[in-house]
Amino acid sequence: MSLLEAHDLSVSFGGIKAVRDVSFTVEPGEVFSIIGPNGAGKTTIFNLVSRFYEADSGGMAFDGMDITGAPPHRIAELGIARTFQNTELFEHESVLTNLLIAHHVHRRTNLVTDLLFLPGARRQELDFRRRVEDVIDLLDLQSYREQPIGGLPYGARKMVEIARALCLEPKLLLLDEPSSGLNPEETEDLSFWIEDIVAELGITVAMVEHDMNLVATVSDRVMAMADGAELATGDPTEIQNHPDVLRAYLGD
Amino acid sequence: MRFVLKTNYDQDVKVFLHNGQRFWYGLLALAVLLAPLVLDRFYLGEFAYLYIWAIAGVGLMLLVGYTGLVSLGHAAFLAIGAYAHAWLLTQGVPFVLSVPLATAFCAIIGYIVGLPALRMTGIYLAIATLAFERIAAWVIEHWESVTGGHFGMRVPDPMVFGMSLDGPVPFYYLCLGILGLSLFAALNLLRSPTGRAFIAVRDSEVSAQSMGINLARTKCTAFALSAAFTGLAGTLFSHRIGYLAPDAFTVQTSIQLLLMVVVGGLGSLQGVVYGAIFLGLLPQAIAIGRDVLPQWIGEIPGLEPGIFGAILVVFLIFEPLGIHGRWVKVRLWFDQFPLYRRATYKRQRSYLRTERVR
Repeated sequence: MSLLEAHDLSVSFGGIKAVRDVSFTVEPGEVFSIIGPNGAGKTTIFNLVSRFYEADSGGMAFDGMDITGAPPHRIAELGIARTFQNTELFEHESVLTNLLIAHHVHRRTNLVTDLLFLPGARRQELDFRRRVEDVIDLLDLQSYREQPIGGLPYGARKMVEIARALCLEPKLLLLDEPSSGLNPEETEDLSFWIEDIVAELGITVAMVEHDMNLVATVSDRVMAMADGAELATGDPTEIQNHPDVLRAYLGD
Repeated sequence: MRFVLKTNYDQDVKVFLHNGQRFWYGLLALAVLLAPLVLDRFYLGEFAYLYIWAIAGVGLMLLVGYTGLVSLGHAAFLAIGAYAHAWLLTQGVPFVLSVPLATAFCAIIGYIVGLPALRMTGIYLAIATLAFERIAAWVIEHWESVTGGHFGMRVPDPMVFGMSLDGPVPFYYLCLGILGLSLFAALNLLRSPTGRAFIAVRDSEVSAQSMGINLARTKCTAFALSAAFTGLAGTLFSHRIGYLAPDAFTVQTSIQLLLMVVVGGLGSLQGVVYGAIFLGLLPQAIAIGRDVLPQWIGEIPGLEPGIFGAILVVFLIFEPLGIHGRWVKVRLWFDQFPLYRRATYKRQRSYLRTERVR
């Protein structure tokens, strides 16, 4: 069974058809990439999956459950974590707090136990703190741990955002242009992290990406899009040489 | 400069980070506990008043400073707490029961007021809460069988187990105790998932949602908690003034509350206390200024609210993080002397989400 299954997704904003009749599946344990020129509707698809946008037609199922009408916060509870193209971190807080916020889906305490900080709340805090440290270790963020987000360089913010998504302990990780704004070295590191995330944590990754090198290195399958529609889906080399894809990028 | 070596996750959960903090806060606690030995009646009353403001401030700080929602309606929660408490007392409900009941009632009202807040931020929310404040004031003026309308109502003495807490010293300790508990509860909240959800909503609603935070529930909870703390302050406030009348709770009270958290420093509990001290001292300072300055200046109508407004504007423009923010910067300057970089705080932004800062 596919982990994520979307069929015939369409959405339009005013007169612009941002996504039209796009169907795709994400299989467990793979890295699935979506590529395409600017304005192709890649990020829109992510926003549809995160339920920030309401699809005009079509449906989605995650892990066998229909999520077409689920509220956005439910998506995270089900096990889909995401990052944002231009990083959406909690600016005023430290890296640590940002990562702790991501543990919200795992909370077992309620308002009253939190107000009184009963032993259960303390145990939960220590447990969260320990699990955050595992992610910090995995992504080598030790040196940033206590720093406020506001003062971090862009590359570090990108990594913190991935770390925050991992703290949700999701089944599916959506990465929206993870390499944008990173230098070639950082991008290369990123491809190792992605492989680690899939291999060590067993998390399935779907990403929107422009850097074809990165896509070719890590992806199992690639979907190419243009003008809101799907052009082709297949393995990276196949897609890179696909005539429709070449035409979309380079023109006739 | 102090470096704290962390060897244990427990250190990230503790209230006090290191012994220095423990020492200074311990000293402060000792000072306020022993204050009745040296202070006279008048100053004890003023301090108790300051503590009441601070309790209300904790409530407003959770809402404005931590959840990023503005409210100009908190005078209403203060009033509802005070009236509900006084009414319960006149019905023969004992003090120890009446305070939590009135607080809970405020929380429920707060939750309901929070519902329309789901779709509003910034200036729109401020106006909606202002409207709520006016409605509450109207109800208080006209629901004569309960509130006494324009004539007001007398507040029975606070009696705990047959002992009156009305004297200056017991009342001082009552206010201090409840302030202590309120600060502790707020601190607990902020080191656990509920408080972090508030912060998440403040900094990025989109991100908060994708972290599995239910925006609607979080905002309503913030409103309810905020109303509860402010209502709790209201119950004490009713004993402080002794006789409740509608004109004790006006829009200006709401503005003073907001002034307190903004001037004190948004996003810090210390800021609440600084703000309360500032608000307690300001009327005295204005009174002294009236005596010193030429008579025609002291006689300008609306001088006091004018000064309040001017101070609010000055803080919003020059020090959005308030007295606490300034203190943090001064401390950092001394810590890093002579290496302090001017640009350290260049990127700071304000928490109050109005159009200007967006």
